[in-house]
Amino acid sequence: MGPGLAGYILRRLLWAIPVLFIISVLVFVMLRMAPGDPAETILGNRFDEEQADVLRRKYGYDQPLTVQYANYMWNLAHLDLGVSVKYRDFTVTEVILPKLWVSSRLGILALLISFGLGIPVGVYAALARGTFLDPLTISSWLLLDAIPPYVLIPLVQWALVLKLKLFGLGWDGFLSANMILPVLVMGLPGVAGVARLMRASVIGVLNEDYIRTARAKGLREQTIIVSHITRNALLPMVTVIGLSLPGVAAGALFVETLFGIPGIGQLSLEAVQLPDFDVVLALILFGSASFVLANVVIDVAYAFIDPRVRVGGARG
Amino acid sequence: MAIAESTAVLTSPEMTRRPRWPALRALARKKLALVALAYLLLFYAVGLAAPLVAPYDPNDQNIRAGETRQGPSSEHWLGTDSLGRDLLSRVIYSARTTVLFTIVVVVTGGFFLGLGLGLLAGYRGGWVDTAIMRVGEILGGLPTLILILAITAAFRTRITDLAYWFEDHTWVSFSEAKTFLKFTIIAGATVPFAWVGSARIVRSQALAIRELAYVTAAEAMGASTWRVIGRHILPGVMPLFIVGLSGSMAGMAGAEVSLSYLGLGIDPPAASFGSLISEAGFIRTFQQYPHLLLGAATPVVLFFYAWNLLGDALVDVLEPRLNLR
Repeated sequence: MGPGLAGYILRRLLWAIPVLFIISVLVFVMLRMAPGDPAETILGNRFDEEQADVLRRKYGYDQPLTVQYANYMWNLAHLDLGVSVKYRDFTVTEVILPKLWVSSRLGILALLISFGLGIPVGVYAALARGTFLDPLTISSWLLLDAIPPYVLIPLVQWALVLKLKLFGLGWDGFLSANMILPVLVMGLPGVAGVARLMRASVIGVLNEDYIRTARAKGLREQTIIVSHITRNALLPMVTVIGLSLPGVAAGALFVETLFGIPGIGQLSLEAVQLPDFDVVLALILFGSASFVLANVVIDVAYAFIDPRVRVGGARG
Repeated sequence: MAIAESTAVLTSPEMTRRPRWPALRALARKKLALVALAYLLLFYAVGLAAPLVAPYDPNDQNIRAGETRQGPSSEHWLGTDSLGRDLLSRVIYSARTTVLFTIVVVVTGGFFLGLGLGLLAGYRGGWVDTAIMRVGEILGGLPTLILILAITAAFRTRITDLAYWFEDHTWVSFSEAKTFLKFTIIAGATVPFAWVGSARIVRSQALAIRELAYVTAAEAMGASTWRVIGRHILPGVMPLFIVGLSGSMAGMAGAEVSLSYLGLGIDPPAASFGSLISEAGFIRTFQQYPHLLLGAATPVVLFFYAWNLLGDALVDVLEPRLNLR
C-alpha cells in the first residue's frame, strides 16, 4: 500500500459523506411525513388525543422536522438509534444487533454457495460455447432463479421435510441442521446470475492474445483454464461480490419469514407493518450506508488490484 | 482507458449501420428464446383479453360443500379455491394484473424515465448529466425492498379515505377505486427505483455515439436536438436498452407479486398471483390441495423464466461486445 492508495481511499470515503447525508435527509423526511405516527401505533385502539400528545412530546414528535432531524443525527453520532415501538424495553440497537448477526451469517453462507457453484458453472458454460451444453446449463439454473422463494419454500418443505423427513423445521439456533435448507434455498437461486456473468467474462478472456500465447507455448489445457482463463475472468467478479455484500446485511425477507429465522429480513417486514418508525429508519439508513461503503470497498479493491485506476481516479 | 474508449467508438457505428434482420435471425436460431417469446406473447394476450378468455367470473363464489377446493376437472380446469371460485379464471385475471403492472412500469420507469433521462444525460452532458446521475446514485444506494415496503405500508392506511373520496367525486365505485389506488401505490413505489439501471446503460451508449462523425455532421447541418436524438442516437441506444429492459422485467413483475404476497399490494377480491400463492402456500394447505399452489404458481414462474431466457438470449444477440468478436 503506497501513499497514493491511502489518498485514494480517503477521497472515496469523503465523497460518501454527502451521499449519505442526502439519503438520510430524504428517508427521514419521507418517514416522518408519511401518514400515522408512533403515538397512534403505541396507543392503537386506546387512542386518545391527550395521551397521544404526551407521547409525542416524550419522543419529540411535536417539534419542527429540522429539530427532529438534528436530534436524530446527534443521537446517531452517539450510537443511539432511538427506541422500538414494539419491543418497548429495548433500544433499536439492541433489537437489531442479534438479528444482524443471524442474517449476516446466513447471507455469507448463501453467497459462498452462489459464487462457489456459479463461478465453475460459468466457466464450464463458456468453454462449452457452441454446443447445446452451454444453453442447457445456463437455462436450467435460470429456471431455479425464476421461482420466487415463497413458491420454492413450501415445495421443498413439503418434499424434504414432510415426505422424506431429511430436515427439521423451525428455529433451533443458528448452528443446527435446520439451517441447511434455508441456506440452500437462499444460495442456489443465486448461482444463475453469477454463472451468467462469469460466462460472459470468460468468453471475453478467451479471445485475449495471452490465451493464444499460452496455447502456442504448449501449456496443458487444464493449466490454461485454471491459471490463465479463470484467474483473469475473475477480475470483474470483484464488483459483483462487492455489490452483493450489502444484501447480506439486509437479510432475506422471505426465507427468514417462512423458515422462522429471527433475522433482519423478518424484522424489516415486522417493523414496516406495525410500523416501528425508528427501527425502519435505522434499517434503511444502515442498508444505504452499507451499500455506499461496499462501493468504496469495490473501488479500493480495484485500485489495489489495478494500479492504473489510482492515478487519475478515473472510473470508466 | 484509451483502448477501451476506442473500441466503444468502433463498435457503435457497426451496430447502428447493421440492418435489423440479422439480429432477429440470430434470435430465431435460439429455439429456447423463441419458445419463451411465444409464451410471453400468449401471457400478454390472455392478460389483456382476460374478460373474454376467462371461463367464469373470477369473483363468483360458491361455498356449498363439495364446491370449494375442488381438484382439476373438465368444468374447472385448475379446480376451485377456498371460496369455490374458479382458479383458472383467477389465474387469468392475475395475469391481467401482472400485464398491466409491467406495462405501466415499463412505460413510465423504463421508457419515460430510463430512456428519456439516459438520453438527456448522455447527449446534453454538463450539469444536466451530473444532476441526473447523482440522483440515480442516491436512489441506487437505497435498500429498495424495505423502502418499497415502508412506502406501500404507510400509504395503505389512507386507502379507504381516498377511495370514499373517489366514490363521491367520480364515477368509479368504491371497490374499483380501492384496487386502482393499491395499483397506483405499488407502481408509484416501484418506478422511482426502476429507471436507474436502464438510464445508466442508455447514458453511456449515448455518450459514445454523440462523438461520432455522423452525429457531428447532422448537428453541423442544423438538425434540431430532438432530431439528432430521435434519428441518430436513439437507434444506436435501443439494442442495449432492450437487453437491459428484458433482463429486468422479471424483477419488476416480481415486485408486484411479492408485495401482493405480503398483503401490501393487490389483494382479494381483485386477483394477483401474489395473493393466490399466499393463500395456497401454507404447507398444510399444499399437502392437502397441491393444485392450488401449482396452478397459481406455474404460470407466473414460467413468465419470470421466459423473461430471463429472453433477456439472456438478447444479450448474446444484441450485445456488440460479445457478438463482434
